[in-house]
Amino acid sequence: MKIKHTISDNTITISLDGELDASSSVMLDEELSNPSIMMFSKILVDCKNLNYISSAGLGVFISHLQRFEDAQIKLIFFNMQEKVRNVFEILGLDLLMTIVGSYEEAVTIAND
Amino acid sequence: MPKNKTFMRLSFLTGAVSWVLLLANVLLLARQAHDGETNIGEPYFNNLLSIVFILSVFIYHRAKSQIQKGSDFTTPLWGLFIKGGMGAYVCLLLIVGYPNINFYWVNSPYLLDIIYQVLFGFLVYFLGKAFYTWRQFILYQKTKDLQSQWKWFEILIYLSLLVPLLNLEYMNYIFLILDLGLLLAFSLYMSVHLHWVAFLSLDRKWASIFLLTAILVSAVLFANFLFNYSDSPELIVDYTDNPFILLALAFVVIYTLTSLLVAIFSLPTSKVFEQKNADLMSFQQLSQTIQQGKSEEEVYSMLFDSAIKASGADTAWLEVGTETRLDSDTHNENASDPKERELIKKIVHLVHEQTDAGQDGILVQDNLQLIPDFKELNVPYNSLLVMPLTSTKRKYGHLYLLREVENGFDQDAVNVVQSFTNQTVLTIENLHLIQESLQNERYKEELKIASLVQDRLIPKTFPTDTWFEISTYSKAAKEVGGDFYDFLQLSESRIAIIIGDVSGKGISAAFHMAQMKGIFHGLMQQDLLPDEFMVQANSALSRCLERTSFITSALYIIDYKMQGVSFARAGHCHTLYYNSMMEDTFYFQTEGLGLGIIRDQSYAKRIHRLHYDYNPNDVMVIYTDGIVEARDDAQNEYGEERLKYMLSQTYHLEAEDIKSAIINDVNDFTKDILHDDQTLLVIKFKQPQPNV
Repeated sequence: MKIKHTISDNTITISLDGELDASSSVMLDEELSNPSIMMFSKILVDCKNLNYISSAGLGVFISHLQRFEDAQIKLIFFNMQEKVRNVFEILGLDLLMTIVGSYEEAVTIAND
Repeated sequence: MPKNKTFMRLSFLTGAVSWVLLLANVLLLARQAHDGETNIGEPYFNNLLSIVFILSVFIYHRAKSQIQKGSDFTTPLWGLFIKGGMGAYVCLLLIVGYPNINFYWVNSPYLLDIIYQVLFGFLVYFLGKAFYTWRQFILYQKTKDLQSQWKWFEILIYLSLLVPLLNLEYMNYIFLILDLGLLLAFSLYMSVHLHWVAFLSLDRKWASIFLLTAILVSAVLFANFLFNYSDSPELIVDYTDNPFILLALAFVVIYTLTSLLVAIFSLPTSKVFEQKNADLMSFQQLSQTIQQGKSEEEVYSMLFDSAIKASGADTAWLEVGTETRLDSDTHNENASDPKERELIKKIVHLVHEQTDAGQDGILVQDNLQLIPDFKELNVPYNSLLVMPLTSTKRKYGHLYLLREVENGFDQDAVNVVQSFTNQTVLTIENLHLIQESLQNERYKEELKIASLVQDRLIPKTFPTDTWFEISTYSKAAKEVGGDFYDFLQLSESRIAIIIGDVSGKGISAAFHMAQMKGIFHGLMQQDLLPDEFMVQANSALSRCLERTSFITSALYIIDYKMQGVSFARAGHCHTLYYNSMMEDTFYFQTEGLGLGIIRDQSYAKRIHRLHYDYNPNDVMVIYTDGIVEARDDAQNEYGEERLKYMLSQTYHLEAEDIKSAIINDVNDFTKDILHDDQTLLVIKFKQPQPNV
């Protein structure tokens, strides 16, 4: 699992590369728990190379969901692979989180 | 060994008989010489008998001699002196007393012959004993070469026994003299094999020197008597003609002498040897402590004692962590007081800072008195050695050693102490490892119990009824898992079935699973609808589930009278269904959020209830994600499609067989490698039949 982030203005784009399992979700949790992340108003998550997400990985996003919502930070997922999207859908997270197709769509929604 | 015993007895017998015969023959010969009468005495017979006697005595000792095993050399030396060497002193008495005895009591011309024969007997016994004791010593820690050299030496010596048989004046034959000279040189060569002296401790060395001297005196006495009397005209026989006796005597004397000299000259160095030996022993002891089940405390104290002994320190202490575990108070009267220690630690700190060597180098300080602060303390120490106890992972402490002499710790001492500390650290780490593995063993036992407890939480048998068949399968990836299912009979015709999966694996998942079971049984007493149950369960779980955990679940209430099933899906896998009327296999596409994701009242909006009227022979398959997300070697997922296909092929079977078919297919797919907990329930509805 590789986690990269690129920053532009008030947007941070986090790219996930590999499998988000129990051990790598700890890394992600550290990333999202970093206080400096609250400085951004938009968090875009690039899931293009995310091949697998475990319940622990979902748990990390779920645990930060409320915090970002309270701080009016938009959390947007894009480029999600079909099987990963299926996991989000089964759990009902697609109705709770914003999941879009491409980076451009993500930027458009983020700027609304 | 019985063969050896027989040899000994036989040789003893022939020895005794031949000696008696020899004596008789000599007396007869003497009578012949004195009285001029001819009788049966035969000079040639004498030679033969003496050879038989010598051979018997030597063979007796050969059979009796042992192989030197340990380093106890004084016992055989003592045995040689008592049993062999004493003969010389007995002879001394006889010979000193001879003129008196001869004059006052017996006055027989044969007396000297008898004494000479007795002397000869003692001498041969002594030589045999000495010869084989020396063999025992020479062959201590032998090499193959040495063994064969000795064999030849022995054979050649024995060959010289044949010379008197020829009954000639061998001194006239130059080649025989040469041969004997060569044999003498061989004896000299054999006498340089003195390994054993090096293995003697100082005390033993003194004892050996004393015994060797006594043995040497015996040998010289024997030689003296032998040569003194050989020319005496009253004597009939003269054994100095026997080259074997001469050679054996020469060998025994030479070897005794060289041993004695080597023992004396190695006295000053034996202390060093003993010290090295003691170091080696300490090292061995340290390395064997684990097998002996010693505690950490004992290992440290062993290190402490060995280090003091090896370095000759006047005072010492060992710090483990911050506390002083051991100090030399009990060993030494000039123990250092705490003030002194503080100062030394300060000095160590200072030196480390100056040299920039880091806190954990070895520190050797050769002249403490040059440090003004230390001089003020007025303690006699000059040299300091600080040895850290560290491994790659941990720092254990420091060993402080002090000596009164300057430059007291040379490189050799430092190396020895260092290897002790290294071994100690290794031993301590091994001890920790053993303790850890015991602890792990205990955890494993606990887990086994947890696994058994959890197993009991999952129902093994469902109520059997005529209107449905149910078959279940459940397997945890680890000892305990987060999957669960359960049922509750709500009324005579209604049953609630729940399935769920707690996020994560292991113990925490197992606890939440047990909690969920409790919530199910608690809430369903109120006969809630599936969606109502989920809302209330979500609210109950919100209070106790940690933030990153959630639970997916699905609850089914089957009404047998109404032939309907109503259910709610909280983020759980879609329910697979086979409709026998339409002959169609499909997934129920309902929406519903997992439990514990939203933790307020708004959850109610996220859960929905679906009602479905079933037909007889319909099949419902309920499972957890461990089934559809099962993976093969290439990380492909089993998937909903394959599961659906399996049901479309097997719906006509009994519930039990449908379950087995699916599980077999999943196991074929994964090659029996389990990544996640797997649970599968197959329910097959049947024609309603009146209850009997």
